[in-house]
Amino acid sequence: MALLEVENLEIAVAGQSEWLPVVEDCSFSVDNNQTLGIVGESGCGKSLTAMAIMGLLEQSQVNITNGKIWLDGENLLDMSAGDRRRIMGDTMSMIFQEPMTSLNPVYRIGDQIVEALRQHRKMTSAEYRTRALQLLEMVNIPDFQQRINSYPHQLSGGQRQRVMIAMALSCDPKLLIADEPTTALDVTVQNEVLELMLDLQRRTGTAIILISHDMGVIAQTCDEVAVMYRGRIIESSTTAGLFANVLHPYTRGLLNSIPAIDSETEWLDAIPGRVPMLEEKLSGCAFHPRCSYSQPKCADTLPAALSIGESHLVRCHFAGELEL
Amino acid sequence: MLSYFIKRVLAFIPTLIAASMLIFLFIHLIPGDPAAVLLGDTATPEDIAALTRELGLDEPIWRQYIHWFGGVIQGDLGQSLFFKTPVLSVIADGAETSLLLALMTMTWIVIFGVPIGILSATHHGTWIDQLTSGFAIFFASIPTFWLGLYLILFFAVGLGWFPSSGFPSISDDGGWRNLRYLLLPSLTLAAPNAALIIRLVRSSMLDVAKEDHVRTAKAKGLSPAKIAIKHVFRNALIAVAAAFGFTFAALISEAVVTETVFSLPGVGRLVVQSILRRDYPVIQGVILIIVLLYLSINLIVDLAYGWLDPRVSLQ
Amino acid sequence: MIDAIKNRAISIRRVFAGRKVAALGAIWLCIVLVAAVFAPWVAPFDPLEIDPVARLTEPGAPYLFGTDHFGRDTFSRALHGARMAILIGVGSVLIALILGGLVGMLSAYFTKLGHVLMRAVDVLMAFPALLLALVLMTLLERSVANTIIVIGLVYAATTSRILFGMTLKLKNDVFIDAARCSGAGHFSLLFRHILPNLLSPLLVQATFIFAFAQLQAAALDFLGLGLPPEVPSWGNMLSEERIYITRAPWLLLFPGLLIIFSVFSVNLVGDAMRDSLDPRFKDDIAGV
Repeated sequence: MALLEVENLEIAVAGQSEWLPVVEDCSFSVDNNQTLGIVGESGCGKSLTAMAIMGLLEQSQVNITNGKIWLDGENLLDMSAGDRRRIMGDTMSMIFQEPMTSLNPVYRIGDQIVEALRQHRKMTSAEYRTRALQLLEMVNIPDFQQRINSYPHQLSGGQRQRVMIAMALSCDPKLLIADEPTTALDVTVQNEVLELMLDLQRRTGTAIILISHDMGVIAQTCDEVAVMYRGRIIESSTTAGLFANVLHPYTRGLLNSIPAIDSETEWLDAIPGRVPMLEEKLSGCAFHPRCSYSQPKCADTLPAALSIGESHLVRCHFAGELEL
Repeated sequence: MLSYFIKRVLAFIPTLIAASMLIFLFIHLIPGDPAAVLLGDTATPEDIAALTRELGLDEPIWRQYIHWFGGVIQGDLGQSLFFKTPVLSVIADGAETSLLLALMTMTWIVIFGVPIGILSATHHGTWIDQLTSGFAIFFASIPTFWLGLYLILFFAVGLGWFPSSGFPSISDDGGWRNLRYLLLPSLTLAAPNAALIIRLVRSSMLDVAKEDHVRTAKAKGLSPAKIAIKHVFRNALIAVAAAFGFTFAALISEAVVTETVFSLPGVGRLVVQSILRRDYPVIQGVILIIVLLYLSINLIVDLAYGWLDPRVSLQ
Repeated sequence: MIDAIKNRAISIRRVFAGRKVAALGAIWLCIVLVAAVFAPWVAPFDPLEIDPVARLTEPGAPYLFGTDHFGRDTFSRALHGARMAILIGVGSVLIALILGGLVGMLSAYFTKLGHVLMRAVDVLMAFPALLLALVLMTLLERSVANTIIVIGLVYAATTSRILFGMTLKLKNDVFIDAARCSGAGHFSLLFRHILPNLLSPLLVQATFIFAFAQLQAAALDFLGLGLPPEVPSWGNMLSEERIYITRAPWLLLFPGLLIIFSVFSVNLVGDAMRDSLDPRFKDDIAGV
């Protein structure tokens, strides 16, 4: 069994009068030393999936209605809130999208970095400080000996995200979930942060789930990819396998919207239409209204997950038959 | 930090001077001749004219102001027309009562306001929140004097647990036990203000709870209680401190009424009595002192704000 | 523009949806309003009629709320007191909003004028509200009009500061730039483009001023510096009868509860309205 296995996860949010499903039949796994990328447009359910694994969903508005999340052979969804908290920040940790607001403005970063450590491991205050310095050095914060006493507002966006990474790694987690970790950063800083994460993985063997809307970022960092559209994984494979053989029209659309540096075309192909609203009920394949290959069958029947070749799954009636 | 402090102090002085002019002007616009009031019904016009000259009331108003303010700077607020003693000593006589009342009231406000506010915020949307919020608005809607009168009726007159009025100094017989005279007044005064703090703590905590860094704290596996205090309440304190000046103003206003209800020999009742006695030097002296106090509190609040929020002090 | 106003306007249904207590508050306020309008016709007795025989009668027929130490019918006085409550509330709200609103908006719009006006407001705000009202009342004769003016002035200072902040936020908004580019003059920008967007927060602020005005007026009455003693207001009823509280505890109960229920109701309604406000302005509103 892999380190993390998500099985048939189903998440619903509270609508006006009923629960609306936002993630359905979602299964994937990640193992040590592996990086899984989850990619999709905003609103596809990728962040909610991450929050569900981490245990950060607000109970009143969002509900996990079905499925299992196995971490190290234990189902997280069967655990008590207290047991869950013992894992959060320790065995698994998370990096968020907004480095500017994800740090508490009133505490020094040194204190915030070791807060999880204080919660989960008993040490002397000198040891906490040593660990904080070590982590800051590891994430390449310049002048880390002074910076440990800085407040978040005194750091740049890139530095704050490094602090977030240091914070997430403080307890040597087995699983690191990074939700759009580079989206809010400058392009030049983006690469540094991604490199840093991969470098740390090489050293510690942490499993990483990287959530992004950017196929470029995924291609650069991930071993495996899952493409989500409106709450379902519509295609998943090894990164190399996916790029070699795209089977779903939506995945093709996402890939076409990456600007290639050597490309001579002036226009990027955007996917026509928009992600449908939650309230809109869609029968069949959720992508069919935007799909240029759509057939009557697509509107009627939900395509089953087809296994094509080794570890390549796709949800499309015409997988392999289309010229993508 | 230092430049922040200096900037605040520099904004404080002109406001204080302008307020002192306003007070002086107000008092001199009051209809009625202070000299006539002072001498009573039997005075002859000649007596009144003589006293008017003696008090300098025949001089132009700006010269009277400079004369008065010059005295104020040297700690001389003039003579009380009623007591025939220096205004400053009349105010000092009421200071003990008012200060002790304020301290006791603040204690109640913190003891009741802060925990109930936290409880209300952490149980947001439940019946606990609805009940505490409802009670908070209710207590903020009660006229202070009405609450005071019924507390006297039940606990002083009916049950006889507490004295109904007055306050002997703690240096008199009874010493610190005399504080029991202030128990009902301080509770009366605390009720609407604690309600204000409950609402303030609740709404600021709810605002902070929506911020991203609270999610970070949750992801660290901290307990809900730890998150509520260390991350939500601590940050909400910034907004609570910012609104504290407003609370203090409400406190001063209601102290005037409460001291009157409980016949406490404090500064608040002195204001009302001096107005009814037309004791102008005392009115302007007391109000100047209260304004000075209120502005100082606001200054302290501003400084505390810089201390609570590291983002401010480095601007 | 009209659509924009509609979108930001407070809809009654949205305000009271799921807030039953606030809806009850609104109903209570309607009752007070009806009582105020029809007091002379509904009241069983003349509120000023003295009957020495019936002094301090307990509640019951024919004196629903009992009588005071002059033998006047408390119920009839309470009905007429509702008139005073509405009059003082509406009057001081109007003064506060119109004067404070103008000062605040003009100060935010014309920066130089604002420097002067807002410093003046700072000076007024250096006085705690009741204290300022007390000092102003000593200048004036005790009358209904003067009480309204004084309370209105006190809250005009607060209102101007709030409006100043809100106008500043709107002033640099894109739609104001758009209007300016299409040739709108100062007057039109202020009153046809900025003001309509501030109406909802102003309405919420008005409810809170109404509530504060009730408590301030009652406190002034109690201190003997508000309405003339013969005027049947709830505050005067409390003030006049307070020495009889041990002999006739009900005397203070009814007017007191009337004040509490009314202020409580206004606060609840204001609170419910604030919750459905444009979040940009929520923090500006000073209320309970």
